[in-house]
Amino acid sequence: MKTVIADEQLTFLSDLREYLDGLDPELVAAARAENIEDPMQPRTHCQAFLRQLGEDGWLGISWPKEFGGQGRTDIEHWLFAEELYNRRLPNGLLTFNVVGPTIMLHGNPDQRREYISRIMDGEIIFAISYSEPDAGSDLASLRTRAVADGDGYLLSGQKIWSTGASIATHLWVAARTGPPEARHRGLSLFIVPADSPGITITPIITQGGERTTSIFFDDVRVPATQRVGAENDGWKTITAALNFERMFYHNEPRWELRQLAEWADGAGLLDGSTAESYELQTVMGEHAVDVEVCRLMALRGAAMLAAGQVPYAEASTNKIWWGELRQNICSTGLDLIGAEGTVVDTDGAPASGHLVHGLMSSPVWRFGGGTNEIQLDIIANRGWGMPR
Amino acid sequence: MKHPDYTDDETALADSAEGWLKFVDNGYLNKQEQTDNGYEEQRWSELTDLGWASIALPERVGGAAGTLAQVGVALRECGRAGYATPLLSTARAVTLLDLVQGRDTVFDGVLRGVVAGNALALVAPPDGQLGVRPDGDGYLLEGRASTVEWLAQADSAVFAVPVANTDEVLVAVLQTGGLDITPVPSIDNELQATLTPGARVGADVPAVVVPAAAAARALGRADLLRASSMVGGCEAVLDLTAKYALERHQFGQPIGAFQAVRQHLGRMSMALDAARLSTNEALSLEPESPARPAAMDAVALFVAGRSYVEVALTAAQLHGGIGTTVDHVLHHHYRRAKGMQLRSGRPANRLREIHRSLVVRGDGGLW
Ligand SMILES: Cc1cc2nc3c(=O)[nH]c(=O)nc-3n(C[C@H](O)[C@H](O)[C@H](O)COP(=O)(O)OP(=O)(O)OC[C@H]3O[C@@H](n4cnc5c(N)ncnc54)[C@H](O)[C@@H]3O)c2cc1C
Repeated sequence: MKTVIADEQLTFLSDLREYLDGLDPELVAAARAENIEDPMQPRTHCQAFLRQLGEDGWLGISWPKEFGGQGRTDIEHWLFAEELYNRRLPNGLLTFNVVGPTIMLHGNPDQRREYISRIMDGEIIFAISYSEPDAGSDLASLRTRAVADGDGYLLSGQKIWSTGASIATHLWVAARTGPPEARHRGLSLFIVPADSPGITITPIITQGGERTTSIFFDDVRVPATQRVGAENDGWKTITAALNFERMFYHNEPRWELRQLAEWADGAGLLDGSTAESYELQTVMGEHAVDVEVCRLMALRGAAMLAAGQVPYAEASTNKIWWGELRQNICSTGLDLIGAEGTVVDTDGAPASGHLVHGLMSSPVWRFGGGTNEIQLDIIANRGWGMPR
Repeated sequence: MKHPDYTDDETALADSAEGWLKFVDNGYLNKQEQTDNGYEEQRWSELTDLGWASIALPERVGGAAGTLAQVGVALRECGRAGYATPLLSTARAVTLLDLVQGRDTVFDGVLRGVVAGNALALVAPPDGQLGVRPDGDGYLLEGRASTVEWLAQADSAVFAVPVANTDEVLVAVLQTGGLDITPVPSIDNELQATLTPGARVGADVPAVVVPAAAAARALGRADLLRASSMVGGCEAVLDLTAKYALERHQFGQPIGAFQAVRQHLGRMSMALDAARLSTNEALSLEPESPARPAAMDAVALFVAGRSYVEVALTAAQLHGGIGTTVDHVLHHHYRRAKGMQLRSGRPANRLREIHRSLVVRGDGGLW
């Protein structure tokens, strides 16, 4: 059977580790704390961390050298993302893992040149604006309109759940350029500077403390050069971006399981032979199994990308596995801890409070990037030829 | 591409195995299951000529010096067909013997026997039911009566059992004639018998004593062949369920157009992927590869069992009444899934072993 990880990729990983181990410990600690608190908003420390990586040539692993990348394969990109997740450090999230790769795929040469290099310099950060109050799973019904106006468009409507928009420099916006009845065939994708006149961004706070936003567009002018792909052909771009988003979710469950293991060790249950420790070992053993499966599902996606294929059902499978596992580790991990598991946001909290924080953050893991019900349909339809 | 993870050689092997297995259908499986032997001698000698059990054995004993992955490919096709013979236990046994003897040749005679057509049973009860204690110049088999696949049909039995009060395992090959064997009915079409302890392992039988960890590692490799059979079973169940979901109409539409059915199918597909990805990684990378955790063999076996049972149970739901009858091949997979999973022992014990390796010791792997 074919193996996908070669020696040179293992060397890449050990070089990366050596590099990360040598970074300023204060910068790393601050970025980690900020990332744990709210991974969707790279703020001061996470941005400084990413800029440092950029300066040292450690961003854009799989992007061509001409764009300042390392020109390596998607396997190395996967190793990079996994390694940073494993340390709970920011890895560039939507900007580097979703929007950037989509611009590489569907952007025109000018857009590629402009945006990829600015992403690499840490100059721009994207937030994604697809969802609307009345267009969630049924994304193709979205109503934000882009009306042709001179050499560009006027954008108006409301988006919701545009996460990271409070710190983003640019928005990745899906808007209607065709008639509503054209559904997904009447959409276009635009790159819009977040400080464009006519944009109002208001915060929404989730139960886990993560921040997301509502965005109102009031006749916002967008030059036609900011459209990615042809007019009314935005669905292709949106789908590509969603597949990237569903593909690169992985090593946090391993990190959360490690938090649980640290607690269990302290409680004397990790390696004991009482009934309680047997129960814990059985539950954690199955989580550890599923963490390895999670790794393999992400690796499969990376291998497909490296071979020039597009994962669809595979991306959806990866995303469901990741999100459910992660929620499950937090919830059943707390079961093992018991009443003390209810303590939040305190240094002395079991597993440093990471599991209870994770549980509160977890709903979105099961529906963000398209709900798991929609993903299961994609698997059945695209993977097994079921009728819609 | 039918088998995207396979090399060209493996694809050719899978195609030829699939071709050879064409005679197997539900009627054939039902008929064989009712016989005392459980399989046809004529087919066994064809299997011997095909040499699947000995693909990975060294040339000096008549093997093809191939890979464990290739043996896994052949057994995956048998698992897909639901075809039961002592091939799996024989292939597991020779994998174990070859690995534990290392550069020694003590088992070469047994391995040559398999190349010539002998069938082996493998006695390695997963939850410690059996052991040996030293007895003069040999050992005495002690413990609880244990169920062993194909024990009554096999020419010899390969034992891998702990030596009392040591951290070692005795691997020895005994003629089945001298053992206390009682055939018992099986959940599935893999025939089995109960072995009652008491037999003596004399000094004259081929045997080695190895550290328990080495034996466990070799058994883990051998059991990947069971995992691979189960992956074949999962694939068959998915294929026939997807086909049925398009054929079967209710309320004027194929049942696959109902979202509840599609969601079940999506879950089955994920379970299959989990089993196939973990088994393929374990088969393709040696345990000491830095790219995989040491426990990956055990992970693959666990996931393959869990997935095969999950997909079989859901497939029965999606087939409705017809899936419960002996006229539909699903009943073989349904029963084989649980049988094959249970033959790896109690899942909770397997999970605690995996926990020890992955979580407590962090043996190997990239993270
Ligand atoms: C914290 C957070 C961050 C987010 N970040 C972003 C972001 O950055 N950018 C962005 O554009 N969006 C973002 N989202 C939005 C997210 O993608 C949507 O919430 C998601 O697509 C589901 O839409 P909805 O909330 O309207 O739920 P609905 O679509 O109303 O779904 C409600 C329930 O109905 C089910 N359902 C709906 N349709 C079907 C169907 N056809 N078949 C079966 N079941 C169905 C769903 O599965 C779900 O269980 C975010 C959301 C949150 C809460």
